Amino acid sequence: MSQQKSMLFALGWLVIFSLTGAGCGQQGPYPNRSITLICPWAVGGGTDRVSRFWADALQKELGKPVTVVNRTGGSGAVGHSAGVRARPDGYTLTTITFELCTMHRMGIPAAPTYDDYQCLLQINADPAAILVQNDAPWATLEEFLAAIRAEPGKLKMSGTATGGAWDLARAGLLQAAEIPTDAVIWVPTEGAAPSLHELLGGHIDAVCCSIPEAAQNLEGKTLRALVVMSEERLADFPDVPTAREAGVDWVAVGWRGLALPKETPAEIVQLLEEKCQSIAHSSAYRDFMQKQRFGLKIRDSSEFTDFLKAQDAQWHSVVESAGYARAP
Amino acid sequence: MIPGVFKQFLSLPWQEVLTWPVLVPWLLGMVFGVFVGATPGLTATMAVALIVPISFYLEPNAGLALIIGVSFTAIFAGDIPATYLRIPGTPASAAATLDGNELAKQGRGRLALVIDLLCSCLGGLIGVVVLMLIARPLAQFALFFSDFEYFWLGVLGLSLSALVSRGSTLRGLIAAALGILISTVGTDVMGGVPRYTFGSFELLDGLNFIPVMIGLFGFAEVLRNVSSSQPMATSTIPSQETGVAKASVQEIWKYKWLVLRSALLGTGIGALPGAGADIAAWGAYGFAKVTSRNPEQLGTGAIEGVVAPTSANNAAVAGAWIPALVFGIPGDAVTAIVLGAMMMYNITPGPQLFESGTQVQAIFLIALVTQVLLLPAGLLGIKAFGWILRLPRRLVLTAVMVFSVVGAFAIRNSLFDIYVMFAFGLIGFFLEAKKVPLAPVILGLILGDLIEKKLRAGLISSGGDLTPMFTRPICAALVGLLVIALVLVPAVRWLRMRMRAE
Repeated sequence: MSQQKSMLFALGWLVIFSLTGAGCGQQGPYPNRSITLICPWAVGGGTDRVSRFWADALQKELGKPVTVVNRTGGSGAVGHSAGVRARPDGYTLTTITFELCTMHRMGIPAAPTYDDYQCLLQINADPAAILVQNDAPWATLEEFLAAIRAEPGKLKMSGTATGGAWDLARAGLLQAAEIPTDAVIWVPTEGAAPSLHELLGGHIDAVCCSIPEAAQNLEGKTLRALVVMSEERLADFPDVPTAREAGVDWVAVGWRGLALPKETPAEIVQLLEEKCQSIAHSSAYRDFMQKQRFGLKIRDSSEFTDFLKAQDAQWHSVVESAGYARAP
Repeated sequence: MIPGVFKQFLSLPWQEVLTWPVLVPWLLGMVFGVFVGATPGLTATMAVALIVPISFYLEPNAGLALIIGVSFTAIFAGDIPATYLRIPGTPASAAATLDGNELAKQGRGRLALVIDLLCSCLGGLIGVVVLMLIARPLAQFALFFSDFEYFWLGVLGLSLSALVSRGSTLRGLIAAALGILISTVGTDVMGGVPRYTFGSFELLDGLNFIPVMIGLFGFAEVLRNVSSSQPMATSTIPSQETGVAKASVQEIWKYKWLVLRSALLGTGIGALPGAGADIAAWGAYGFAKVTSRNPEQLGTGAIEGVVAPTSANNAAVAGAWIPALVFGIPGDAVTAIVLGAMMMYNITPGPQLFESGTQVQAIFLIALVTQVLLLPAGLLGIKAFGWILRLPRRLVLTAVMVFSVVGAFAIRNSLFDIYVMFAFGLIGFFLEAKKVPLAPVILGLILGDLIEKKLRAGLISSGGDLTPMFTRPICAALVGLLVIALVLVPAVRWLRMRMRAE
């Protein structure tokens, strides 16, 4: 092979690895080298997409490369604990997600909690919703719950694996309505997309997942949302009532945020908080979230920490009474 | 029908798509796809995920061309190291290691890859044409597939694998059972109980398929070479191949119906959200072996063994677009990313898109032209990696080692996966020494997971009732196919042999 060709060849790989890899150390005030953003979920999913937006935006704000590293495994435990164990120097951030508040109750070894993190800010919130076929016999949540009460164990739902976020959301909803959680059969699937396919095929009766995951089918009027488990109705889907309006006092929200290892120096935390706040309130972020149909919800560091504390308590009781609690 | 197709073809938005601002990122994307796809551990999904943020800076057609170009090229390029080094570049290429690598060992690696490339283009073209013509009915048909249907599909694939493996059927079955055993490691999706994890959270998601595959095929190959007594200094491939282009066209013409059959099968499997290009490739390989006139030659470097999986895997990439465009539900990880990208362009995938027309026409055209552009991009890849064949063998083995380690690490940035790769290298070496075929292990690993999940989900859904497994129409048809494959085909063969003997 000629010299030229081998150079080209090497260059090709360099480009690839520079896109996936990380940089090396230099001296100077923070930040003086590349920063890693750990995403505990796989390439191409919602958390990955949001993480990649933030990596790009932080890179512009900080003037140093920010790379997303997907550390998947253990239902999110691998990435979440890698984020906790990273050196607390501000060069490793983690996109934390809903599962942080449930996995340590469900028997996952060495699963961290929100308390192991220094929270930066909440960047997103997507409430759970219950979706049915457009021609389903139930017009409202009340009718749907009445059908479950009338024939317990007949209706089938899905949305994710057993014990996943949306399974817990529907279990909590049933509990709040004083219906036993096993009155609905939860058919485990690998996520919202295959569940929606099963729903369209008529193999299950309803899906519990977030609104953005079903947005195309809602807009295309092939599916209908009975309820959204948020505090207020969503601006994009103003016709869908909340669970509270339907008389069930229940809120279930999937959220995402950014966090640092606990011991990170205060001045670095403060700097990152300022930068993150300005990104979170930028029109570019609003535009991105709107186009992706992701719910925009910003909480600052202290509000976010309080929110996570409340979340931890809320889901603890759901995990316990749905029978998913397990000692690690 | 034919004039209709022709009319539809002419009415595609040629002027909007074939412009420089679209072509330049398109071609660059395809070159990128070749490199990423050919690097083991970097999958087509990663290639697309890396390129999507860049595509946001482009106009919609250019961005879509970039993404579609990358996805098809990466799936083909995965076959390059599969053929040359016996390390599949992407999971979809695992089936291509079998005969492709055997051909490379016989000094016909370039022929295998050129045939592979042509089949990828043809498979992709057939897949896209099917997408254009019957996406809607096919998507409606795919809706009939629920848990039990997937279960039988998996059982069918796995049974074929035991039949298709070389050598004794018993060893094939042992290998498949081992694969199923490996697939049970990790958190049980139904009850959340960890199985065979020994308290390690790296194992909670199970053994990652890619490090296992790289170990079994790539690293085991290194061990085998190092332990053999042949001198290491000689080049892997002694002779230079000539007349490859003509020979490959002739071979493909000979197997034209196999290409068509495999591509249609691949498109169908791709259209199912529960199955992707990897299963399509194995399915087509098994189907080719069952229907082949010389089934014993598959696995020893038969052209049919190259044609079938490579036609099917690119067709499956097109097939995955069917549920994405018709329902707005992604058929696999790549289309999931693409749907996200489309929303950034204010294109809402799903039924409305399909009815409104123009944007969907542009996607069809881009997908069609991509298959044509795949030829030069793929040839570039084959040439760029061709130097590997001319290196002395010890350097090739070093390259395999490097690729194996990098590939195992890259899939999820985990050191643990490198150990997994080494462990499975040893297992693979041992199995091959005992003449246990490796292909059924991989198939057991992929399909064992599918079979278990779908059987259990199906039983949860039916309340433990087994009758729907046989009475649902598609289930009954699949059971019928299983009977044909396991009973009738061997019986006919046996009768024929007896008649010949008399």
